[in-house]
Parts: sequence; structure tokens; C-alpha cells
Amino acid sequence: MNSAIVKPALAVYTGLFILFLYAPFIVLGILSFQTGPEGGPQFPIQEWSTYWYRHILGLTPPSRIAPLPIGEALIRSMVLAFMTMVVSTVLGVLSAQAFRKRFTGAGVVFYLIVLGMMVPGVLVGLGMALVANALGIDRTWWGTAFALHVVYTFPFAFLVMLAIFNRFDASVEEAAWSLGVPPARTFRRVTFPLIWPGVLSAMLFAFTLSYDEFARTLFSSGRELTLPLAIYGTFSVEIHPNVFAFGVLTTLFSFALLAVYAILMGISVRRARRLAIQEDIA
Amino acid sequence: MSTTIANAVVTNPPARAPGRSRSWTSYVLIAPGVAWMLLFLVLPILMMVYVSFWTQTTFTIKPILTTKSWEMFFSSDTYLASLWTTVRLWLIVLGCTVVVGYPTALFVGLFVRNKTLSTVLLVLCVIPFWTSFLIRVLAWRPMLGEQGAINIILMGLGLIKQPIEALLFTELSVVIGMTQIYCVFMVGPVAFMLSRIDPNIIEAARDLGAGFPRIFRKIILPLSMPGVVVGAIFVSVMVLGEFATPAALSGRKTNMLGNIIVTQVGSLKWAFAAVAGVVLTLVMGMVVALLLRIVDLRREL
Repeated sequence: MNSAIVKPALAVYTGLFILFLYAPFIVLGILSFQTGPEGGPQFPIQEWSTYWYRHILGLTPPSRIAPLPIGEALIRSMVLAFMTMVVSTVLGVLSAQAFRKRFTGAGVVFYLIVLGMMVPGVLVGLGMALVANALGIDRTWWGTAFALHVVYTFPFAFLVMLAIFNRFDASVEEAAWSLGVPPARTFRRVTFPLIWPGVLSAMLFAFTLSYDEFARTLFSSGRELTLPLAIYGTFSVEIHPNVFAFGVLTTLFSFALLAVYAILMGISVRRARRLAIQEDIA
Repeated sequence: MSTTIANAVVTNPPARAPGRSRSWTSYVLIAPGVAWMLLFLVLPILMMVYVSFWTQTTFTIKPILTTKSWEMFFSSDTYLASLWTTVRLWLIVLGCTVVVGYPTALFVGLFVRNKTLSTVLLVLCVIPFWTSFLIRVLAWRPMLGEQGAINIILMGLGLIKQPIEALLFTELSVVIGMTQIYCVFMVGPVAFMLSRIDPNIIEAARDLGAGFPRIFRKIILPLSMPGVVVGAIFVSVMVLGEFATPAALSGRKTNMLGNIIVTQVGSLKWAFAAVAGVVLTLVMGMVVALLLRIVDLRREL
């Protein structure tokens, strides 16, 4: 192909594309250092300051701008994301394990599970609110909203585990069994270490998706707000740079999460490598 | 624990009715997941369909079946306009994500043969997803506003004299925001399909004298179509179900079906919200069916 022209052109385009993806964050990051409380959410920067960060943490004297209602919302979101992570990972591992063998109705079940990540949040949220109303159940973030979060994240965990089991060499399990190792111990010592990277990824997916989820939560969580709902509340009113500062902080939090994932992943890879070397020596 | 049961079954000698006991454990393993999905996904959707035929009074709904809400939906200009807005925005944003995303996918998937570099580029594309969705939407406000970054840059370059007001709180801003948020879902699948193209095929075509345009049309494009369709399904489903981006960037001027649902629920008009929800579901079903018509994914993937 005429790589001489096409390739550099595409390289430049890709650079611009990545700029397009990042530009809003760069602007957001810059504006989060706007002076306060009189500085608005636009250019120019009147004076650089960390006012809005202190505003979020409640370290500034009271002003006409109400602080973001994030304290309790943050805790709720973390608890909810953790619950969702545990349940959807367990369901994902179980279901993917079931799919390692053919069974009647597997196709339908596959689509039923994948439907969970495809159906828009507004629809299931609305449906769940209607069911709760009809049954007279209170809508809560730890009940109805939690159920919907799992509906959303379980398919991701399932697909990740399915991919892992696809590449999984079942002969190591069979070897353990034929050597008389009980199934429970085989799972703990052989299967689980092998699928652990997948489990870790499934957990990461589930936690972050749930932590950020709000369309499903909007109708199904009742009075107590989760973090994304608290942010959504600021949409209707005038926005201030405190939302931007908050955006920077949550992004940093996500990166911290990603770092934990990378470290755990690195440890498991290193352990696998060490085992492989030991095998080579033996 | 139940995972281990499945493992145990494999060890059983095949003489003991293998087929039956095997699928039995599969059902045990799959049961919790299926039960969860039936209870919390299928039941709510069915309930929505059912409630769309209930009678709506001022503040409550009664389980007396009627088609009033449906008649109301299809005779109201507001609702029909929102249906049209939804379809229009879907088409525009889908087109934009293909046009904006395809060249990047082409570069990452086909031209970068260095595995590390292509991984780095894909990771760079995914990193923005580690920020809250709502923050990503809000981030466009200081970009597009009258005193926003784009206007300041364009004026600084001397390209425009007056700030472009049409950038924010219009349908254009919604399109820009959605394209940025969703185009990565197009880049991923397309790049994946492109990276599976055997370089020898392209090599052979070139040896036989085909230029890049012809190679693109005859080889690259057809082979990447499954990726485009998968990306299009992702993007379509997400765009059709949107309400936050229009709410944040259009200044409440652009109302999609999702926005209608949110407003109706806000004023306790559950039956109307349910009608809008069913209409949205139908639109989405048609769109996905249409996209699956284009390429037989099961065969291609």
C-alpha cells in the first residue's frame, strides 16, 4: 500500500484523535485551579488557587456556593460497588464454568446474560421502580439499585471469565484429578490460580462500572443519593469549578484503583513465571 | 464450592450416564445467574410493558387496562418530536463515530505492527473511561462555551472574530459530546478485526498491482465490517438510551426519549414513562436487528 503517504497521515490523525479524547479533561483540570469563590467555570483563570479543592473537603469559609453533597454519597457508592463486585464476580465465574460444557438452552442463556449489559439503564431502572411500586417495596440503593447494578456488571464478569476459560487448558485439572487430588483442592490449587487474572479483571470491571453507574440508580435508589446521582444533581443548577475539582479527584481515585489492579496482576504474573521456571528446573 | 462439583463430574467415568449428569451440573451452576437476570431484568421489562396499559390519574396509576397512554403518546407533538430526535441523534452520532473512529482503528489495527505500540495506543484511548461518565459530559461545557477553550483558541488563531455561540446548548454540542464519549466503542472492535487481517493478503494484492484505495475497498473494508457492526451495536444501544448528555449539553432543548422518561417519572406519570420506555425498547430492537442483518456475526467472528 502507499504507506509513504497513508501511514504518516493516519499517525497524525490518531494523534489528533487522542487530543480530541483528552482535551476536555485538560481544560477541566486547568479550570479546577480557578480562584474562588468568585471565579467561574470558564476562562480566563483569574488567579491560580486550590480553593475549589479545599471547598470540596469543607476547608473553606462558608460562601454562597453550597458544598457538593458527596461525603455520605461517596461511602454509599463504595459499599455498593464492593457488593456489586463480589456478587457479579461470583455469578460470572459460576456461569462461565457452566458454559465449559454444552447444555441445552446455552444459546438462550448466553443472550439473556448479555442482554443485561445492553439494555439501557433508563429502561431497567424504570421497570425496577414499577416492580417495586407494585410490590410495595421501598426503593433503596442497597436493594433495588444493587440488583440492577449486578444485572449490568455480571455480563462483563461473565464474558471475561468465558474468555479465560476458552484459553484454559483443562488437562492440568485432569492431571490433578488423575493423581487423586480431591476436586475442592484441585480448584483451590490448580484452577483458581490459573483463572485468577481473569477474576481480577472481572472484579475491576464490576467495581468501576458500578461505582460510575447512574442511569440505573436514578429511578431505583430512592432518597439516599449515590455519588453519580449527587453529580447529576448539579446538572440542573449553575455549575462551579468545584465539580471540576471533584472530577480531577475521582479520576485520581480511578487511577489508584487501576494501580492496585496492575500491582496485583504483576504479582500473579511473576508468581506464574516463577512456577514455570521451577518446572523447567525440575 | 459448586464450581468444584462441575470439575468432579468430569472425573466420573463416562459409563455413568455422562450427558445427563454433566448438563445437570451446568444447570446448577447457571441457575443463580439466570434467576438473577429473570427477576431483575426480564421481570422489570415485562412490568414496564404491562404498566404502559394501566390507567394514569394525576398522581397514581391504577391497574385498569387501557390504551389511553398509548393514544396520548402518538397524538402528542412533544412525544413524537422526541422520538424523531432520538432517531436523528442516533443516526448522526453513529455516522460520526464511524467517520471519526475508523481512521484511528485503521492505524492502530493495521498499520502499527508493533504489538506494544498498538496496545499503548488502545490503552490511551481507554484511559478517559476511568473518569466518571458525568464528569466527561460536564467537561465539554468549558470547552464549548462562549468563553470556552475552542472559541478562545479559534479567536487566538484569528480564524473567527466573534465567539461561535452555536457550540454550546445546541444539538451540535450534544453530537460533539456523544461522539467523543462513544467513538472508542467503535475504535476497539474495528481495530480488533483489522489486526486479524493476514498481512500476506495485502502483500499479495500489492504485488498484483493494486493501489491503496483499491486494497482498502476490496480487502480492508469488507474484512472490517463485522467490527463496524459490533461497534455500531454498542454505540447505538448507548446513544438510544441516553438522557444525561442532552440534559447537560443542550440546555434542555434537545429531548430524547430518555429525557421524556426522566421527566415523566419526575412528575409521577408512570404510565406515560412506561409507554416511552416500550417505544424506546422497540426502536432499539429494530436497530439491533437491522445491524445484525448486515453481517452474520456468528459466522464472521
